[in-house]
Amino acid sequence: MYMDLISALPSVLTFDNFFAVVIGVLSGIAVGAMPGLSATMAISVLVPFTFGLDPLVALGLMAGIYNGAMYGGAIPAVLLRIPGTPAAVATSFDGYPMAQQGRGGFALQVAVVSSAIGGIASALALMLLAPPLAKVTLLFGPSEVFWIAVFGLCSIIFLLGESPIKGLISACFGIFVSMVGADPITSEDRFTFGQLELLDGINMVILLVGLYAMPPVIDLLEQPLETKEAGKALKTESLIRSLPKMFRFWKTWLRSSFIGIWIGILPGAGGSMAAFMAYNEARRTSNNPNEWGQGEPEGVAAAETANNADTASALIPALTLGIPGTAVAAVMLGGLLVHGLQPGPMLFRDNPDIVFGFMWQFLFGAILLIFLGGSLATNSFSHLLKLPRPVLGSIIIVLMFIGVYSINERMFDVYLMLGFGLIGYVMDKFKFPLPPVVLGLILGGFAEENLRLTLLIGQGQWSALFANTTSLVLVAMTIAVVVGPMIKRRLVKNRQSKGE
Amino acid sequence: MFNYKKKAALVSALLFASGAALADYPEKTITLIVGFSAGGGTDVMARNIAPYVEKYLGNDASIVVKNVPGASGQIGITEVAHSDPDGYTIGTYNLPGMMARTLDRDTKYSADSFTYLANIVSDPNVIVTSKKSGITNANEFIEAAKKTPKSITVGMSSLGGDDHLGLTKFQNITNTEYTIIPFKGSSGARTAVMGGHVAAAVLNISEVAAFKDELNVIGVAQAKRSEFAPDVETFKEQGVEFYNGALRGFVAPAGLPKEVELKLLEAFNRAANDPELLAKMKATANPVEASIGPDFKLLNDELYKLAKQAWETTPWK
Repeated sequence: MYMDLISALPSVLTFDNFFAVVIGVLSGIAVGAMPGLSATMAISVLVPFTFGLDPLVALGLMAGIYNGAMYGGAIPAVLLRIPGTPAAVATSFDGYPMAQQGRGGFALQVAVVSSAIGGIASALALMLLAPPLAKVTLLFGPSEVFWIAVFGLCSIIFLLGESPIKGLISACFGIFVSMVGADPITSEDRFTFGQLELLDGINMVILLVGLYAMPPVIDLLEQPLETKEAGKALKTESLIRSLPKMFRFWKTWLRSSFIGIWIGILPGAGGSMAAFMAYNEARRTSNNPNEWGQGEPEGVAAAETANNADTASALIPALTLGIPGTAVAAVMLGGLLVHGLQPGPMLFRDNPDIVFGFMWQFLFGAILLIFLGGSLATNSFSHLLKLPRPVLGSIIIVLMFIGVYSINERMFDVYLMLGFGLIGYVMDKFKFPLPPVVLGLILGGFAEENLRLTLLIGQGQWSALFANTTSLVLVAMTIAVVVGPMIKRRLVKNRQSKGE
Repeated sequence: MFNYKKKAALVSALLFASGAALADYPEKTITLIVGFSAGGGTDVMARNIAPYVEKYLGNDASIVVKNVPGASGQIGITEVAHSDPDGYTIGTYNLPGMMARTLDRDTKYSADSFTYLANIVSDPNVIVTSKKSGITNANEFIEAAKKTPKSITVGMSSLGGDDHLGLTKFQNITNTEYTIIPFKGSSGARTAVMGGHVAAAVLNISEVAAFKDELNVIGVAQAKRSEFAPDVETFKEQGVEFYNGALRGFVAPAGLPKEVELKLLEAFNRAANDPELLAKMKATANPVEASIGPDFKLLNDELYKLAKQAWETTPWK
């Protein structure tokens, strides 16, 4: 198989196929940077056009877009506190404070380098370890996936934010939103009020744009037309000079890559969960956890490494087993099918040139990020910041409307987004954390579906949830996440009272 | 449905009756509504066949695919049912799904809302078991369920789809009972069988052809063996008269002008026999078995009856 890998290289390096990756990365960054547009959308728009293209050109575009968009989402997350994609939510935690302190340029450089490292690690995992890692995916049945979802939700609620109660309420709201639409098992309508538009549930992007983009945009509109801030461009030094400052993140890079790859091969959660988990882990193990959330570049590094480390690895189960781990992977499978490439164990045997070529393109896409992403973000997007604030806010509102409308080409979604915007604005004012809502929507549906599948398989016995080792390990991890911070708080309190 | 005779004579009679008046159609772009997102099985079929229908329609015909995804194709097909019957809007049509929806939901369309153009793909059901289960043929599968009813878990893509109606049929024929596990989508069901999380699954031949070595495919629900897995026995060969599958085709709104209908039927008929297209369909895992016009309508009626029977005896919600 490694011979196939090498023999696929020359065809990737032809002008057409390489150029496709370059264009893909550039357009991916642009798409990711615009709130409301996502990689999923860009690739699904692209799929119909790829019918007439050479497979490697089409796949190169897709690989480029996927990599580019995962980084592109960080640009507005850092500069405006508006995550361009769901996976960039965690990037805004420390990225935006950095931008406020005038270190936005450095934050973006950290983001681009970390994205590239995560992407490279992920591409290597896909190239070298796809078949063995696919076997891991098979171990995860409905009960295991249920516990992963519960674990993910608990870690967000209990590890992030000051108030677990507010986090819990936010998560419950997200889980409630996940229940709208057809029941996952019986397809019975739930909370749809007879609206056909709600039958498929509420699209993640609509919720994200409403909740996350609306409050900062209203904020921008509230500011006076002329401010001192407006004229300020992004201050940056060249990447070569700032790179040495990043080397101290090597542990975070390594750990976050590992987490991202791992989450990628598991069915379900995808980039946003990877970014949250990596952020949590990096903060937990750092020696200054209290400064996180106030502009710690390592937080940006953790989140951005992980959300790119999830890209190529999400394709491992997709290519070998035909299970798309994420929405993007699902669309990419469509793009492969268009060219007669059917996922499955035979794919690697029957079309090695294309499959391994595709993997190379992922690797090149990740490497190109450093060159294309760095200059693009600092040179072009930072000019946007020079605009008067209310003008910038209006532009973003237009982009939000276009993005949300184009998901399904209907106004209904735009109204829905505005509704979520109102909720987001109120939540923001009352300091309810927003990330648990996003994760609640993503993981709530998974948790429910897999809980019910487990119970169906176990003939209604709840013990089916604890029937195997993998599940038990996940249960233990969940308990540790919930109880750990409580014990820690108690210990700190005790120590303080003793000190007095 | 997979074994009844084609009424080819009827189609050709209709074709001969077509007059000179149809020379004008099509004068503008034809919109082909696909009820699923780009890159799905139905979409790939539609995009593959569209150029050939254009070619055989002549008149520099042009077909533009419009994806209207949502609610398992219901949103798209509703749009087709309510568009003008002028031949400039046609849509993809899935069976038994489109008919099953009229039973389990309030739909704004029915079997009478359409002019049936052509069914192109017929993807037979297969039953697969996990390597762990030790079940390798239809008899063992039936015996296991007879010994302890409901002891065998069977995964499938959803309730009310071809997999589910297929298993209901299988249970009736063999007088058995299985525990139904509806996953969201067939890839989830397939992976669960491979991982041994469920004992068996009802899928379609196109979905398992690439996974034959990882699973036991115990039978194909079709009269003849499938070209996608020629080494797998049919259920008929094993003494069980079990035929079922998923169909994908094309419809137009009801009340299409006769000459437009005939022109479309002819174009679809010729496209479905084009060797170049057949090769493409094979490469994208779409088993072709065309039924044109009146044949397709009969097929639809037959499947509607079957779905209704299943819904009345064992409603799934």
